[in-house]
Amino acid sequence: VHSNPLHDGLRIEPAPGPTTLVIFGASGDLTRRKLLPALYNLSRGQRLPARFAVVGIARSENDDAGFRKGFEDSLREFAHADATQDEIAVSLASRLFYLAGELTDPALYVRLREKLKEIDGDEGVLYYLAIPPEVYGDVITHLGQSGLASAPEPGWRRIIIEKPFGTDLKSARELNRLVHEHFTEEQVFRIDHYLGKETVQNLLVFRFANGMFEPVWNRRYIDHIQITAAETVGVERRASYYEHAGAFRDMVQNHLMQLLTLVAMEPPIAFTADSVRDRKMDALLSIQPLIEEDGDESNATNGKNRDAVPNVVRAQYADGWVTGQEVVGYRREPGVDPASVTETYVALRMRLDSWRWAGVPFFLRTGKRLPKRTTEIAIQFRRPPLEIFRRVSPTPVEPNLLIINVQPDEGISIRFDAKLPATRMQLAPVMMNFRYGTAFGREVPEAYETLLLDAMLGDATLFARHDFVEASWALVTPVHERWREERAQRIPEYEAGEWGPDEADALIGREGRRWRTL
Amino acid sequence: VTETRVLLFEGEEVAFSEIDERLQRTGDQGQTTHARSLVGTLVAVGPAERLIEAAEAWADISSNYAIRAILISHGTNPAPPVRISGQMIALSGLMTKYVDNAIAALRLSSLPTVVWFRGGAPEMLDDLAELADRLVLDEADPFPLWRRALTLRERTAFGDLRWTKLTRWRSLMAQFFDIPGVRERMRSFTRLRVGGSDRIAADLYAAWLKTSLSMPVELEFHEHPGPAVINDIRFGDRDQYLTLHLAKSGTCVRTAAVIDGRRSSSRTLSVGDQRLPLLMAEELRIRARDIAFERAIAACVESS
Repeated sequence: VHSNPLHDGLRIEPAPGPTTLVIFGASGDLTRRKLLPALYNLSRGQRLPARFAVVGIARSENDDAGFRKGFEDSLREFAHADATQDEIAVSLASRLFYLAGELTDPALYVRLREKLKEIDGDEGVLYYLAIPPEVYGDVITHLGQSGLASAPEPGWRRIIIEKPFGTDLKSARELNRLVHEHFTEEQVFRIDHYLGKETVQNLLVFRFANGMFEPVWNRRYIDHIQITAAETVGVERRASYYEHAGAFRDMVQNHLMQLLTLVAMEPPIAFTADSVRDRKMDALLSIQPLIEEDGDESNATNGKNRDAVPNVVRAQYADGWVTGQEVVGYRREPGVDPASVTETYVALRMRLDSWRWAGVPFFLRTGKRLPKRTTEIAIQFRRPPLEIFRRVSPTPVEPNLLIINVQPDEGISIRFDAKLPATRMQLAPVMMNFRYGTAFGREVPEAYETLLLDAMLGDATLFARHDFVEASWALVTPVHERWREERAQRIPEYEAGEWGPDEADALIGREGRRWRTL
Repeated sequence: VTETRVLLFEGEEVAFSEIDERLQRTGDQGQTTHARSLVGTLVAVGPAERLIEAAEAWADISSNYAIRAILISHGTNPAPPVRISGQMIALSGLMTKYVDNAIAALRLSSLPTVVWFRGGAPEMLDDLAELADRLVLDEADPFPLWRRALTLRERTAFGDLRWTKLTRWRSLMAQFFDIPGVRERMRSFTRLRVGGSDRIAADLYAAWLKTSLSMPVELEFHEHPGPAVINDIRFGDRDQYLTLHLAKSGTCVRTAAVIDGRRSSSRTLSVGDQRLPLLMAEELRIRARDIAFERAIAACVESS
């Protein structure tokens, strides 16, 4: 693609070379809600290759026509497009094919190989595992054994693996081992849709393209960092998954760790996949264990900490009222064990032992049934060393805040103090806001569009590497093990529609800090 | 002065010295959400009748862009009336030699300024090139402006709305050349047949292919009166050819590649929204110098 001189200076960035996207789990929710609309939007923007096809694979009996009908329904519901009238959708639909079969059946993979040949689509093939993690192993093994995991040049084979990538350190290692039996790491794209968000990518630009921020991005100027991922929804239809996962596995091990490392990483030497991921890995490795043996034992003896994991608070939502509706507590949700101790909320205090971050706590919180849907990173700066306005201003000096809004309203805000006009010297905090949605007059692409395109182009910068996945599991697994050992009958609760339990306030309050008002 | 001759007729007339204060007030009253987060200045310069069209075009999409828009029509008045509506400012009939002064006074500091040049003496580009981060040309006969632009290309980045209209057509052609079978037979592609309403756009397209592929391209143009600049393109010889054909809807292009007599890739893709405000909006996203464009207009100028 890059040697094609006609792409020089084109405002529309180059589309990938010939690609066939093979979706395992083609009848599932992810395909319907995210993948098919993303492909349609990419096609509208001329970002799909000139030779492109989709092969959907699932157990359900279906055929090409049925899959195409599903595509139409998906676009109607999630892309607000009438696929029967829209010429682009009609054209894309004609390149959609379907194979029904058991993922454990070797014959399915023989049929897949034949289908790829038949549709002239065996040059570049991107596999997408939109299936339950229990069957990842089967698909990967069969792809490898049937020779579908590699291709002679200039062909290529890549695989996108959805989260959860393992359920603990052991299972993540086992899955990585299995993947690497058949695919090289360069072929593997572990997706974390948070990384496809424009603001998350912009964080790298903000930090490393603007000379004014990096000099203050350290322990000397930053007091602490808060990362919040709040949802208003409850467990919805995911009870069977969520009961085993909980907020810690579902959100912290992947999404929040990715955000944290992007904030904490050292500057990469270049904007390349490995350089960026190496620096993120350094940051991840600098995080201190969440369980400190000495501290735990003294706390446990004193009975001070209910969870005996002093840097982590877990909780579950109880009945309450969210976004104008009365909602039931987690234990009363359909499909949830009435005696469940699965956490729907978790708050953490993390320490990074690095030159840059020594002494700067990172507070993370995530939960369901919170008052507002928002994901943000808030960097709170230290107060000025001398508060010269203390005696003349009736209002205190507020510390500067830099807020990176990840969703729903992507952007960056900076809070600073200003003098209130017509007062002798009264201070008030003001916000400077940058919003992606209104600044550039262009719709911010959906994360899946960005990530699908990157995988087709072979750019792994925004995907998790195997060592990152394992290192993040290494951090969270001991906490799970400790919780399992405790066999708690109940965990703290918070009323649905409130910002988490009192224990979370106590966690951040220990050092005189408090959660940011959102 | 009739309503149709007044730029920003719906706006409020203010003195030049009050523009800043008036714009600030707009923001304070919350009439626009962009008042405190503007990202650049768009300046449209040209004869009044062409600027009224530009003003209407910009008004259609201005709510989506955090941009200050300045419209300056040519005239003889050193102190013309100024009208303001939202973040749009219009100066009707400003003496040509003061256009650059007005832009210097009204553009947003430290943010990109894009000048949309809808007509005027080519010499005006000299001063504008000093002020503009990009100069987008938009004239029926572009050759005098292109000649001038080629002498100024080291001073600012140039573009042309005709070129913008060709973006999607260029992208679709480029994507054909990502297919190995097409790339290998590149030398077969020397005959270009273009059907459309704008001969100059066809010349520009041919010049782009010629200069990018560094090989001769023989253009055959067929006029198709209508709103579309291009209706169809066929590039290649008898056995290998690439075709792009505008669908009846006018919003999509059907593409096909025929290699060794075999149809290998066909699909329908968006040709993008070719309405004036959206073309201009596309220009606002560009910051860099467009070397492919400069090479193409140089080739056009040379053969004209």
